[in-house]
Amino acid sequence: MTTSQQHKQYTFVVKQLTSRELKRKYSRSYLGIIWSVLNPLLSMAVLSLIFSQLFRRSIENYPIYYLTGYILWQTFTGATNSAMTTLVDNKMLLLKVKFPMDLFILTRVYTALINLCYSLVAYVVMLVVFKISLKWTMLLAPFIILCLFLFSLGISYILATAYVFFGDVKHLYTVILTLWMYCSAIFYPVEQLQGFIRIIIWNNPLFTYINCLRKAVMYGTIPEYIEFLQMILWGVGMYLIGYYIFKKSKNKIMQKI
Amino acid sequence: MGLSAQRRREIRKWQPQELEWQDIVVKNVTMQFKRVKDEATSIKELIVRTIRGQQKYEMFTALNDISFTIEKGEVAGIIGTNGSGKSTILKIISGALIPTRGTVWVDRKKVQLLTLGTGFDPELTGRENVYLNGAIIGYTKEYIDKKYNDIVKFAELEGFMEEKVRNYSSGMVSRLGFAIATARDTPEILILDEVLSVGDMFFRKKSEAKIREMIHGGSTVLIVSHSTSVIRNNCTKAIWIEKGRLRLVGDPNEVCDAYEKLKDV
Repeated sequence: MTTSQQHKQYTFVVKQLTSRELKRKYSRSYLGIIWSVLNPLLSMAVLSLIFSQLFRRSIENYPIYYLTGYILWQTFTGATNSAMTTLVDNKMLLLKVKFPMDLFILTRVYTALINLCYSLVAYVVMLVVFKISLKWTMLLAPFIILCLFLFSLGISYILATAYVFFGDVKHLYTVILTLWMYCSAIFYPVEQLQGFIRIIIWNNPLFTYINCLRKAVMYGTIPEYIEFLQMILWGVGMYLIGYYIFKKSKNKIMQKI
Repeated sequence: MGLSAQRRREIRKWQPQELEWQDIVVKNVTMQFKRVKDEATSIKELIVRTIRGQQKYEMFTALNDISFTIEKGEVAGIIGTNGSGKSTILKIISGALIPTRGTVWVDRKKVQLLTLGTGFDPELTGRENVYLNGAIIGYTKEYIDKKYNDIVKFAELEGFMEEKVRNYSSGMVSRLGFAIATARDTPEILILDEVLSVGDMFFRKKSEAKIREMIHGGSTVLIVSHSTSVIRNNCTKAIWIEKGRLRLVGDPNEVCDAYEKLKDV
């Protein structure tokens, strides 16, 4: 097989696996994939109900502020949480297949990305509802999402490798995610925080992604030079680290499984 | 267990001299798994034990110095009781595992490994599973499109393909698996892992005929089974592995007789 043929075959495999993931996720519900659109809307409604009064003065368009953070956060957690267990879930297939097992991890992260695309439908509708005007900075969104994708992929490689050896990574990660979520300023204004926690939040890659998307979509400002650098470095850097760790452990993974 | 770079180089470099007749050469293969005694399954435990120096390993030898060759066009059967190392040797031949010592020479591009019951998703329909499974074992989309009707017909599942696999009987699932796996143009090396005891009597006849067709197409076939009748009926050579050691290689009838005698005792 030539490289391009092989490439085509891998694309086909990832597509098939992704469509399986999507079908399976909603296989027992009536609304199916529509839930990917409804979920962010419902969550936005809940949070807005509670917090929009509280943060009325500090955040305008609170629902959009929250939704922007929420969809990116969901993409990240959806990707990493599902990719973490993918090697163990597909144990039987791993011994049979002729393609690299990275594809299983890629598939789960890609599935989260497809889910994000559905959520974006809800997002766009809400942008119209809240009369957010069109800005050319919105064109930055795909770039931000690409960086987030790479970042999630890197983390997923590490988690998937770790999970093969230790089942409790899963439980530990749940706790870490909770902490991480509170440090990502998804539903509160970041300006009110001071000191140590402020430093953490400003150095949190996920906050950078969320903040840049908010800037681009809501306020029409271009992220600063340093923020661009942060986004790219976290994304590419984490991808490379994750991939390196995964490659290193590949043989061990096969034996363990 | 990491492999040293030197060991990797050795594996890559090794090439048997006379390869005109052999398709698979297994030479002095030993496979050891490092098993941690009551393994630490949590990070906390691991850290505590490592600090205390309590990590105890025991070596488990799954295969011990196994050598055999399979010639082109031969139909070889590997027989042995459960847990004797049959599937480990298959994983090594198909490249999923790298042996601790020894080498295997085989052109992995030609190998088609056929196992059943893996890779089906009960929540998908029969049709979706054909595409998913086909993609996984390396068929292109165009190829599956072309072969789709043949697959359904061979599996005798006309009218069931839009049904979820969850609702299939186990026989239907294995028939579909067999049909997908054998849809390809005859591979040069075919490895069958317990596939010839699938479905009812009629389907079994049909699948054996299909395998024979592949054998006549010039494939080298490696069958793994714990059923002596499968080996007797199909193979030209039998390899008996017991508790990780090679017991006997030779004529299927002789090997099977010896194997059955051991079982009776």
